[in-house]
Amino acid sequence: MQCQRSPPPANVVHYQFLQRQKVLGLYRSMLRTIQQVPDKADQKYLRDWAREEFKRNKNATNQDAIRMMVTQANMHLEDLRRSLALAKS
Amino acid sequence: MAARALAQCVRSLSRSTTRLYQGSVVARSSSALLISNDRSFSAISCSQGARRIEQSWISQLTRQYGGLPPLTIEAIAERVMYVLKLYDKINPEKLQKSSHFMKDLGLDSLDQVEIIMAMEDEFGFEIPDAAAEKLMTPEEIVQYIADKKDVYE
Repeated sequence: MQCQRSPPPANVVHYQFLQRQKVLGLYRSMLRTIQQVPDKADQKYLRDWAREEFKRNKNATNQDAIRMMVTQANMHLEDLRRSLALAKS
Repeated sequence: MAARALAQCVRSLSRSTTRLYQGSVVARSSSALLISNDRSFSAISCSQGARRIEQSWISQLTRQYGGLPPLTIEAIAERVMYVLKLYDKINPEKLQKSSHFMKDLGLDSLDQVEIIMAMEDEFGFEIPDAAAEKLMTPEEIVQYIADKKDVYE
């Protein structure tokens, strides 16, 4: 946790590597969740939207901004999962 | 008491499908026979009969899987290339077995994630993130899948 908040300079490269993994993992789980959306058109829309969002911010370098976006993405993912669960019940 | 248990048993039997009809008739007649012999045992034997029926029912429901043709390296390679050709951002003409997704085909890391997911769907197993991000060419994917599925040349 401490490491996440203020990565020591020596580990910056490694930290970025981990963060990259995290972002890609996020994209993966995003797509997996979107696959459960029943409507094909909605699926496509959501996929394109997710992709655009990831692409739009691909040049971000500010660590804090990236961390914030990861949190935001997690929130979106939770939202989507919740509404999917609701739609199923 | 025994009569009630029997009634319940018969009800549960009659609930089963027509495929079981013969079996349930046998069980019903056998439990009826047992009643005439010894009333106190009828509940037990009835439940045993139900269990037997249930077992045969389960074995009937067990799906008989046909064996897949054994995977070979060539078959895997063919399927991998097929999936890649269907991916809309890849130019099928440029696609080689050794072409690097990012350097040669001009894809980005998001595309690579999507490709790996398509492979997971095609071959029906999950590729962990750590391994997934190292797979950058069709060759590597084929090799990885062959390793995981225990396919050797």
